[in-house]
Amino acid sequence: MSWRFDAPLVTLSDDATTKKNETLWETEMLGGLTEDNNPVPAPVVWLVFLTVMTAFCVTFPLWGQRPTAALYAPYVNSMDKPEVLAAKDDAEAMQRIVAMNKGTSNDALLERHPLTMDDLRLIKDQVKALEAKHVDLRDYTVVGDHVVIANFEGNYRPDGTRIRQQPWWDKGYTIDVFYLSYFFLAVFLMIKRLPPTAWQPRHGHGASH
Amino acid sequence: MLKYLMAKNEDIPPGSAAVYFGFSAITWFVIGTGLGAFNAAKLAFPDFVTGLEFLSFGHMRQVHVHAVIFGWISMAFGMAMMYITPALGNTRLWSEKLGIWNAFLWNVGLSLGLTVLWFGMTSGREYSDFPWFIDLYIVAFIAVPLGINVWMTIIHRRTQGIYTTNWFFGAATFMLIIVFIVGNLPEYFHLTGLTEAYLTWWFAHNVLGLWITPVAAAIAYYTIPKVTGNPLYSHRIGHLHFWSVVVFYSTPAAHHLMSAPLPEWLKSFASVEGVLILVPAIAFVSNILLTMQGKWNMFVENLEVRFTVTGCLMAIPLNMQGGFQQTRAINWYIHGTGWIVAHAHLALLGFSTFLEAAAVYLGLQTIMKRKLYSLTLGNIHFWLLLIGFTTYWVSMTIAGLIQGAGKIYEVPYIDVVIAEHPYMIARWIGGSLVFTGNCIWLYNMWMTARAGTVVPEGRMPHELAYER
Repeated sequence: MSWRFDAPLVTLSDDATTKKNETLWETEMLGGLTEDNNPVPAPVVWLVFLTVMTAFCVTFPLWGQRPTAALYAPYVNSMDKPEVLAAKDDAEAMQRIVAMNKGTSNDALLERHPLTMDDLRLIKDQVKALEAKHVDLRDYTVVGDHVVIANFEGNYRPDGTRIRQQPWWDKGYTIDVFYLSYFFLAVFLMIKRLPPTAWQPRHGHGASH
Repeated sequence: MLKYLMAKNEDIPPGSAAVYFGFSAITWFVIGTGLGAFNAAKLAFPDFVTGLEFLSFGHMRQVHVHAVIFGWISMAFGMAMMYITPALGNTRLWSEKLGIWNAFLWNVGLSLGLTVLWFGMTSGREYSDFPWFIDLYIVAFIAVPLGINVWMTIIHRRTQGIYTTNWFFGAATFMLIIVFIVGNLPEYFHLTGLTEAYLTWWFAHNVLGLWITPVAAAIAYYTIPKVTGNPLYSHRIGHLHFWSVVVFYSTPAAHHLMSAPLPEWLKSFASVEGVLILVPAIAFVSNILLTMQGKWNMFVENLEVRFTVTGCLMAIPLNMQGGFQQTRAINWYIHGTGWIVAHAHLALLGFSTFLEAAAVYLGLQTIMKRKLYSLTLGNIHFWLLLIGFTTYWVSMTIAGLIQGAGKIYEVPYIDVVIAEHPYMIARWIGGSLVFTGNCIWLYNMWMTARAGTVVPEGRMPHELAYER
């Protein structure tokens, strides 16, 4: 069971171990079943690589973010503007609020999290109260009719408060990177202990070279 | 079969436990899908059977889900383990008597569990709805005896190596015990809130990920090489599959709770792992399809191969859905809709059922040494299952998208109900086709046992021509 490291992409087993494995592989019938020693096909390797890349890209919290109080603060502050107050009904008022707050980097998020005037009335006082306290509104999440401190746990600010904002990278991704690395290393070590893929078993025969 | 309960182990014919498990599984499949069709009828026609509490949808849904998962799917797994594990080790099952008792206590426990669910005694936790005493019964009298029989058979094998299928069987039976003990902790210790929510979905996720999915795949690793006569394409891909199931399928439970106030880093971690569920799927599908090289004619001609390859192909949409629907970008839209119901049926009624059905067809014929009574009925079963499932899956996926749109755009609930009504009828039709197919299957296997052509010693059933 000795190791060799001169050709790690071919095999990590020494000649004696490889020979022993080949003999066993060719002679043993597992309930009449046999296995070949084909490599993992290149398209499968590429698909696995693509899956890993996609897994990180598609799960970054750039999408599916919850609305923050900061997102709706401009809406709340628009509620008392004359042109909004002059609207004939709530639907028109809301349309005017949306129109006057377009053109910011939050357009896509606002489109995914539309509100009604009733929703705005429910959170208006809570948003105003937070503004009066001069806190960072991005630390607060709007959940239905509640404006609550977000459950992110970021770094501490100099004043001792904690950043409660969704980062583009968090420790979940860091754990994933280590976890994945260990996995692929372990699987690599395991399959490279097998005989080289250039050798294929002749099932039902003794080992051949 | 019951006469063997008190017989000596050496007096019990090899394969008896597998036959007991096999026929139990088919019977539970008939019952489970019958209940499913009944439930679907209640959704399609709201006035159908009202006024009886124990026949209300809330009670019946739990009974349907548990009859199918722990009756059909898990007992079919038990059947496969009882005959495949010893076959791959060139040996006999460690204890036929334990296997017979296992199947007997399984049927008793499941009947008891479904009865209490029927009468409204439930933990109220989806997929782990059984109350705590049934959970403990399942561990003590179902999962542990099954595991002992499988592990001891592997230990007493007459081969040096262990074939891929038996890695999965050995590991999955162990994980089933862990999943049941840990996943049901909220019931034993009255844990509430987020802890309960997380453990509920840890259980639900891992019953699928560490029990149903790997065992179903393990069965295909046996069926295809056995029936086609081809060697498994790659031992290495088997390693990639097995270890990626262990590593990537065991971790993403939090992706079921993307809208819950769990720590966001846990969701990020789980979401990446959730997409990586595609790794074992890629390994599995490629290994099985490449093993089919030169034998694709059997996809048309052989019933077991057709079932297995169809189930294998279903792993592709299953894992594409599963991998991506849990991401923040998609989950907000489809969460809590019929899309998820469709996905769950793709996993259980599509992917795993087709693989297990092949194992039960092959196993019962092999053990009883009887050729399938009627290929025609077998073909009718296959097509009713496939068309019924597909009708169900497509209709529920569309209904889910309608519900998602209704949820996001705040469409009045009753309007959504009206919009999805045609799809509920399609769901009922699909489920009824599946139920009908299973009744035919039970008849066909019963007649196989009674009147199937005898298979000569040393021959496989598929090597003989059909007589009917």
